[in-house]
Amino acid sequence: MLAVGLNHYLILSAILFCLGLFSVVTKKNAVTVLMGVELILNAANINFIAFAKYVDNDLDGQMIALFVIVTAAAAAAVALAIVLNIYQRLKSINLDEADSLAG
Amino acid sequence: MLSNFGSILFFLIFGAVFVCVNILLSRLLQTRNPYPVKLSVYECGELPEGNSWIQFNIRFYVIALIFLIFEVEIVFLFPWAVVFKDLGMFAFVEMLIFVGILLVGLAYVWAKGDLEWDKPEQVPSPELYRTDNVNSAVKITESVAS
Amino acid sequence: MALSDIIRDNINSLNYFLPELLLTGLVLLMIIADLLLKKERSPWMSIIALIGSGVVLFAIINQYELGSRSIFNNMLAVDEFSIFFKLLFLATTILVIFLSIASVELSGRSVGEYFTLLMILTLGLFLMASATHMITIFIAIELVSIISFALVTYLKTRRRSSEAGLKYAIYGAFSSGLMLYGISILYGLTGTLNIYEIGEVLAGRDTNSLALLISVLLIMAGFGYKIASVPFHFWSPDVYEGAPTPITAFLSIGPKAAGFAVIIRFFNVALSNYDGVAEQWLALSNINWPQIIAVIAAATMTLGNLVAIAQDNVKRLLAYSSIAHAGYALLGVVVLSSQGVYATLFYLVVYYFMNLGAFFVVIIFQDIIGSEKIDDFKGLASRAPIPAIAMGVFLFSLTGLPPTAGFIGKFYLFAALIKAGPEFYWLAIVGLLNSVVALYYYARILKAMFFDKISEGVSPEPLKISPYYVTLLAVLGIPTILVGLYWAPLANLASHSVHFLPTF
Repeated sequence: MLAVGLNHYLILSAILFCLGLFSVVTKKNAVTVLMGVELILNAANINFIAFAKYVDNDLDGQMIALFVIVTAAAAAAVALAIVLNIYQRLKSINLDEADSLAG
Repeated sequence: MLSNFGSILFFLIFGAVFVCVNILLSRLLQTRNPYPVKLSVYECGELPEGNSWIQFNIRFYVIALIFLIFEVEIVFLFPWAVVFKDLGMFAFVEMLIFVGILLVGLAYVWAKGDLEWDKPEQVPSPELYRTDNVNSAVKITESVAS
Repeated sequence: MALSDIIRDNINSLNYFLPELLLTGLVLLMIIADLLLKKERSPWMSIIALIGSGVVLFAIINQYELGSRSIFNNMLAVDEFSIFFKLLFLATTILVIFLSIASVELSGRSVGEYFTLLMILTLGLFLMASATHMITIFIAIELVSIISFALVTYLKTRRRSSEAGLKYAIYGAFSSGLMLYGISILYGLTGTLNIYEIGEVLAGRDTNSLALLISVLLIMAGFGYKIASVPFHFWSPDVYEGAPTPITAFLSIGPKAAGFAVIIRFFNVALSNYDGVAEQWLALSNINWPQIIAVIAAATMTLGNLVAIAQDNVKRLLAYSSIAHAGYALLGVVVLSSQGVYATLFYLVVYYFMNLGAFFVVIIFQDIIGSEKIDDFKGLASRAPIPAIAMGVFLFSLTGLPPTAGFIGKFYLFAALIKAGPEFYWLAIVGLLNSVVALYYYARILKAMFFDKISEGVSPEPLKISPYYVTLLAVLGIPTILVGLYWAPLANLASHSVHFLPTF
């Protein structure tokens, strides 16, 4: 019989992490990149919750997951506000066009 | 007994079958009488206006961002509420302070007028657009003009 | 531990948490004051910020008398190490407030939010210096990052500022995501997030070295982003160039020093074991951490210095030079000894004076001649001798030439490195070669200012420098020379501040 164990969670989170990494590295659209970052953060959250259940007997893992949710929302809000500002200015959120600062 | 994955599979199959059966049933039982009003998009009883794929007013995004920040703080209230009785007075005061800080933030947003729906269009004063960069000056004048 | 004990510990900790509490109160006060003071551009916000900083300063100094303690159930530590960094951060904030008052870039904008954000940033730095738990480390780093994004974008009508903010935010979010994933793996390996307990677990049993290596490298992504070390330095030149210059000056000191505080604490407490006899920490597990950091340090200073050669914009040049300086300061971390930590602390203070000073001279010239290009600095020595001479002092110090403070700082770093043994000789040689490269590009600025003729079409009449600027230059310039000649008090402070929890 196949039971869901620690490894399944880790594989799921590794897949999410790789998807997030992929979209951060390859995408040009600022919002898509931020979505990739969210994937990475949630991959880490899955790890934390899984380890909190299987490895640690304390609640540290669940605690940090809550804080990650909040800080991720705050970071996303500020980043999106910046993206909005850029959009009003350039009418584009393509990262390649934000190039007035020499590479 | 089903294994963990087995129950997930069961739910998947059950969900798919349930949806299909219901759609099929309504297909078989319904009477067909289409007319233009019935076929139009449902917008709370109002007549639909224009295409739905338009660009939304930027104010929607600002309000959404503010909502996002305040709403997510609930995540701290839930665990606190669960063990409220055990924690006692100290945690209650702590949470009051936390909510108080949030209220200051809300008051700030309110007083700055970011919650107003009919905010008068801000005309930027020209001195803000100092031409401290050659190529930024061009872009800025374009965006002001548009 | 029983619930009542935990709550009692939290209540008892409040007394030790006074500087941060005062800072939080100050921030709330400033938010309300910003609403009540309808008149924008009033100087009141900066005055409130300065008075508040003064009060916080007293609270920090008072912490020396309270003694070292771990507070909030091992979430934060109050020890000489963190108090040292808090003083450094507060000094940075106070000076940046003074720079901001003078800045032309910020004039004509509402500055209420600016100063409020600056104080929140300071609070984040305080937490970074004292965090001893991965949760607090993560929250503190995020707090600093998020506020920095907003401050970099503060000139939102200026294209370069917005773009810099966007890049900063994207890199920042990405690197903190990597760091968090690394922390999650470390949590899985050790079953705890408390850095003391991580150290105990790693000392107690063998862990999978590959997983540990990956997790620590991922965590280094977050820390390296804060100190702008290779390969997480991409943001720094763009951000330094695009941000308002006072903020650039702040970012080049505050978050960088805080990053070092976190790195030193993390590597010395969680990943190594203190050996009281040799006054040295021994790296835990089978991985050679010192050599890994050594490679990062060597790459950071070499890249920073080599790219700096090609820059025409002084602000950008200083950005690359600050990358290089992060590499130098890492030399002290590499050796994992008291002497190394001591050298790093000493160097960060010295760096505070010389780097803020150099940025301040750039602010002055930018305000007056409206340019940051090296070519436009030609002949400035004859037009504005005082800032030019001050710039000379700061650049000499950044290069590490005697008799300036930079020389003493570098001397301590290299001494610690040589003492640590022959496996680090190569790093010392790389460091020395880098200093020679640095001399070349700093000399370019000096040559333009002192020896080049004034460009045609530019009037040679002297520039007016306000007494306010001269005073600030003196505040930064005199210590730069003084510490180079008489460094005992600063050395005492630094050696006193090496002690962090757990006490040894």
